[in-house]
Amino acid sequence: MAFVVGINLAMALRLIGITPKLSLPGFRKFLPFHWWAVGLIGVSGLALLLAYPAKALTNPVFYLKLVALSIGLVLTWQLHKRFRRNEEPTQQLRWGVAMLACWVITIGAGRFLAYTNSVLLASRFF
Amino acid sequence: MEEALLNFSQLSGIYAFMHSPWGWPIAESIHFLGLSLLIGTVGLFDLRLLGLGQGVSYQYLHRLVPFGVSGYFLNVITGTMFLSSAPDQYLYNPAFQTKMLLMAIAGGNMLLFYSFANRPVQATAADADVTPAVKTVALVSLCCWCGVIIGGRLITYFRPPYHWCFWC
Repeated sequence: MAFVVGINLAMALRLIGITPKLSLPGFRKFLPFHWWAVGLIGVSGLALLLAYPAKALTNPVFYLKLVALSIGLVLTWQLHKRFRRNEEPTQQLRWGVAMLACWVITIGAGRFLAYTNSVLLASRFF
Repeated sequence: MEEALLNFSQLSGIYAFMHSPWGWPIAESIHFLGLSLLIGTVGLFDLRLLGLGQGVSYQYLHRLVPFGVSGYFLNVITGTMFLSSAPDQYLYNPAFQTKMLLMAIAGGNMLLFYSFANRPVQATAADADVTPAVKTVALVSLCCWCGVIIGGRLITYFRPPYHWCFWC
């Protein structure tokens, strides 16, 4: 997760204007590594969900995390497509702020998940 | 040690904040953001030194590193808040001890990098490789930070009996 969020934060910093001389399309060379890490968090996330499905699925914070994570990944995918064509996105500040917001919400929601569940085991419903 | 940390936590108000309903998760969120900043900048630079991202300028990528350093300081602050609020959960925990050891190695490794490698690396062309010695430093850094993450996660799940430590 730290690699996924980390690479996205680095791209967001570049998009909001930090180190403008750093080539944005150059990030595409790190992105395959990022997508591998996404696969890893997908598998481990699914395992955690299967271990305690009721704990996550009954908690609205879980859906907040899922939505923020999905939007964040779609933004990264869109950027990756542009980088492959050696293009830089227009309105870079908006892209950067949106990416920062998505990842900050994902992390915050992920951490708060452990403290906001009202149901632990699915057996409660049977 | 435990008592001194608890006293500090109580006198500074950290204890009250951390034991409020949202104190711990807020500090954890900031801790993870700091860690991600560190991995996204220092880790990315390490990957570049190891040969990934050929063509990406070492010099310009290095300009993101100060953000990693600020992430590190965020983690020192939030880490101190965790430690001082529940010292018995950390001081005798082998996962925490391993994390601290790896952080110390990463710190020494960083000093090594800045004492002999930083200037030559900054002057290296974007499409050129760095020396094997610099790659070793980058690999040690990356391994240490991965170990720090794993150690940090294991703290929660590793509840050793009291007074378990390397020096006890």
